[in-house]
Amino acid sequence: MTVSLILFIAFTVVLVLLLAWAVRPLKKAPLTPDDVFEALSEERHYARLPQILQSLQFDDTAFIKDRGQGALLERLRQERKRIALHYLSYLEEEYRILQECSRILATLAPELATKGELARFRQNLRFIWNCRYLRWRLRFGLQPWDVFGTLSDMAGTITLQLEAATARLGERAMSTVNSASVPDERPGEA
Amino acid sequence: MSEPVNLLNIAWALTTLLEGILLILIIRRRLSCSHPAFSLYIVAAILQSSAVAGSSWYWGQHTIQYFNVVWGSQALVVCARWTAVTEITRKILAGYSGIWRMARQILFFLGVIILVYSIAASTNRWEMVVLNADRAVELCIAGFIVGMLLFAKYYRLEMGNLERQLAIGFCLYSCSRVINVSIVQSWREAIRQWWDFFGVLSYFATLAIWMDGVRKTVAIRAPETPPVLSRDTYRELAQQLNTRLDALNRRLNHLFRSRSEDPRS
Repeated sequence: MTVSLILFIAFTVVLVLLLAWAVRPLKKAPLTPDDVFEALSEERHYARLPQILQSLQFDDTAFIKDRGQGALLERLRQERKRIALHYLSYLEEEYRILQECSRILATLAPELATKGELARFRQNLRFIWNCRYLRWRLRFGLQPWDVFGTLSDMAGTITLQLEAATARLGERAMSTVNSASVPDERPGEA
Repeated sequence: MSEPVNLLNIAWALTTLLEGILLILIIRRRLSCSHPAFSLYIVAAILQSSAVAGSSWYWGQHTIQYFNVVWGSQALVVCARWTAVTEITRKILAGYSGIWRMARQILFFLGVIILVYSIAASTNRWEMVVLNADRAVELCIAGFIVGMLLFAKYYRLEMGNLERQLAIGFCLYSCSRVINVSIVQSWREAIRQWWDFFGVLSYFATLAIWMDGVRKTVAIRAPETPPVLSRDTYRELAQQLNTRLDALNRRLNHLFRSRSEDPRS
């Protein structure tokens, strides 16, 4: 059995696995444009980041330790960790909505920038990876500040991209309306 | 060696029968109008089976004429398959002009890369040229279909059940051909008959997937001429769209402001 044969078979197996994944039905139904509009009008969760970060700092609960309330301290830290995990879930959901929004815009857009789309794809992968990493860090009691900051920044970046994309779409739609509203003035028909 | 030969002949006859039934189904469901390339591919496959069977009977299987008929018809069938795959891709992606433009470029480059890799990784023996070319094209088709389906998945594009099943069938068949050719190249005559049988079986499974897809498709009406909008209606619709885009923009601006008014600052 040659290396070439193994590579061809491995490549084919990878293709079959990707095919199976690609045709698998979606776990969550895609959001409709109305759902996205509604979700975007709600309060953003990542604005609460500073409070969450503050609550996870050891200094924030040091005074309880100083008073010798070990059990209470442990309970408090567990509670705060649980809240941080909840916050992470909300952040994920928020990012999903923004992603859906950008996908809906992509389906409406007359042309897409390949570089921009690839950058967003990479960003999505990074976000998923960071979320999983952060979850594990929280569960093992490690400090999660840097990663939380990165995730929050990513949500901000995708918002900026969306804003630029909607602005472009709006301009295009406006120029279409303007050109449609120009009276048909063909020579000889006036 | 007579057992696999007999089995192969039976399987071959059955697949041709299945192709005939599939063609009848396609005509009855009027899919020949909506999916002309796929319909032509099935016709080409039936003609190929007849031509190969006829040349085998007339010239025998170990003649140059038989070789020419087999690979000549295979080249035509592969071209028909490419056309059918392109037709499916267009049906899934072409409705979204932005995505379609980008996907076309990426899928083209993906196809070229797979083709080049496949040729480069193949053995240099001249008697394997035809098999290598066949494998390269099949791998390219499989990669192209998977790429197209990944695009559809990523952008959550709506896909008809028929298109999905046709794409799955084409991809699985191409993958089985790649494995088949690779193994035949390595062990050649020792197990060739069995792998030929495996190839026919995989095509049999592909036909079953396609038949299921075609059978479940409701009869497609003849395409209607698109409604022509009056200028007033168009202006009204465009205005509505602008209002919605403006609302989205304002909400996004609000979202962005909520970030810049971060209590950390």
